[in-house]
Amino acid sequence: MNKILYIEDNPDNTTLVRRALEARGYTLIHAANGLNGVSAAEAEDVSLILLDINLPDIDGYEVARRIRASHKIQLKSVPIIAVTANALKGDAQRALEAGCDVYMSKPINIRELWARVEAFVPAG
Amino acid sequence: MPHSHLSHLKCSGCDRRYSVQEVHTFCPDCQSPLLASYDLKQVKARVDRDEISRRRKGMWRWHELLPIQNPDNIVFLGEGDTPLLRVPNLGKELGLSNLYVKDESANPTGSFKARGLAAAVSRARELGIEKVIIPTAGNAGGAMAAYAARANIRATIYMPKDTPRANVEESRMAGAQVILIDGLISDAAGMAGEKARAEGWFDLSTFKEPYRAEGKKVMGYELAEAFDWTLPDVIVYPTGGGTGLVGMWKAFAELEELGWLEDTKRPRMVAVQAAGCAPVIKAFHEGAAFCDFWLNAHTLASGLRVPKSFADALILENLRESQGTAVAVRDEDILEAQSQLGRREGIFAAPEGAATLAALRILIENKWIASNERVVLFNTGSGLKYLA
Repeated sequence: MNKILYIEDNPDNTTLVRRALEARGYTLIHAANGLNGVSAAEAEDVSLILLDINLPDIDGYEVARRIRASHKIQLKSVPIIAVTANALKGDAQRALEAGCDVYMSKPINIRELWARVEAFVPAG
Repeated sequence: MPHSHLSHLKCSGCDRRYSVQEVHTFCPDCQSPLLASYDLKQVKARVDRDEISRRRKGMWRWHELLPIQNPDNIVFLGEGDTPLLRVPNLGKELGLSNLYVKDESANPTGSFKARGLAAAVSRARELGIEKVIIPTAGNAGGAMAAYAARANIRATIYMPKDTPRANVEESRMAGAQVILIDGLISDAAGMAGEKARAEGWFDLSTFKEPYRAEGKKVMGYELAEAFDWTLPDVIVYPTGGGTGLVGMWKAFAELEELGWLEDTKRPRMVAVQAAGCAPVIKAFHEGAAFCDFWLNAHTLASGLRVPKSFADALILENLRESQGTAVAVRDEDILEAQSQLGRREGIFAAPEGAATLAALRILIENKWIASNERVVLFNTGSGLKYLA
């Protein structure tokens, strides 16, 4: 299984990441806000979650916390890569404390994204 | 004859080519830094190294290999041709017979940042850009402000609030709008990027435009010329964003392709960072292709407080290709080295520059350097700018 959930409200980033990951054989599921992202994580069997921190409803930290606290047992260990545009003070630390495994700042370098994703989920 | 033989921009990640007649930032496809390419065959046919050596001193005597196509767009404040100082007192103490300091504090605005910003602002003017923005841990802000003032370009600068006062004052003196923020340079970068996107400012962040590295690469040309068209054995370089390291490695490749080197043996490059912010050192020794974002970055060397460079992959590639290494140094050792540079050689180095001497001590202890090798330490700026 190489299904990845991308929680991101920016359509440009979504297009870029979709193209990059699908080129490597991954299947991308997209949620455009935090609440939909949590629902998608619970409804689908995903191998990895890419999580934008700046979302229009609940922020990425809260999304990560809810995913980790989910009744769905697999979500306690699914890898979460946090991504943020601002890299504001403490963002990385907060993301890791909220349950994310890796932190990346935008702009997302595609080669790095591939490497980070493939570290958890082999390319399809 | 063209003033510059700039031919195209090339993505360092995916090799895609871009025109030099348009404004570019980084590769929109893979979001890696763009690097400038030149028609080196044309350069070789039209100029030789001796002619360049005879020209008036300064960075722009290498203009065929720099990106400005119309010389009227060059913004010159005297950058380049900084002294390469032999440091025999230190050398004797450390048991090295060929130790040098490339003293970049002699640049306008007192640091090596002048080179990169001279190139970037000149190119911005050439491309019709009217307002530029930069996040900085210090010296880049002052340099950008100075060159932008001379180019009649508006400047905005985001700086951490603990940036040395000299950097704040020199930026304001040059008419830039300075915004002090509670955070690190990565925070400043986020805010500057947001303002750039919202209001159309051109972002001169490290490697988010292609031309700062071009100014910095001239440090590599100058070293080759100073060593009679050979290269030193080891270059010890303080690495924040890594523009100079990547730029010099590019310069050496260009010189080799031009056939201007008497001996093409490249230096081993050493990246130096502070122990409190050492993402390149960690990634290098772990064999990683990219750096992890460094948490809780802290060091007195503000220029080294870069939790993750946008060009981390390039830095790591260049270090490995050079068979170099990466060394972290403690702040107390930086201070001791700063004092030693002053006492032994009369150089009041920036902490980032002093960090190279602290790293050199570690390299000697580890027997990584032979006593007769030609070793160049980079002092990237003046210690005067760090006085409270």
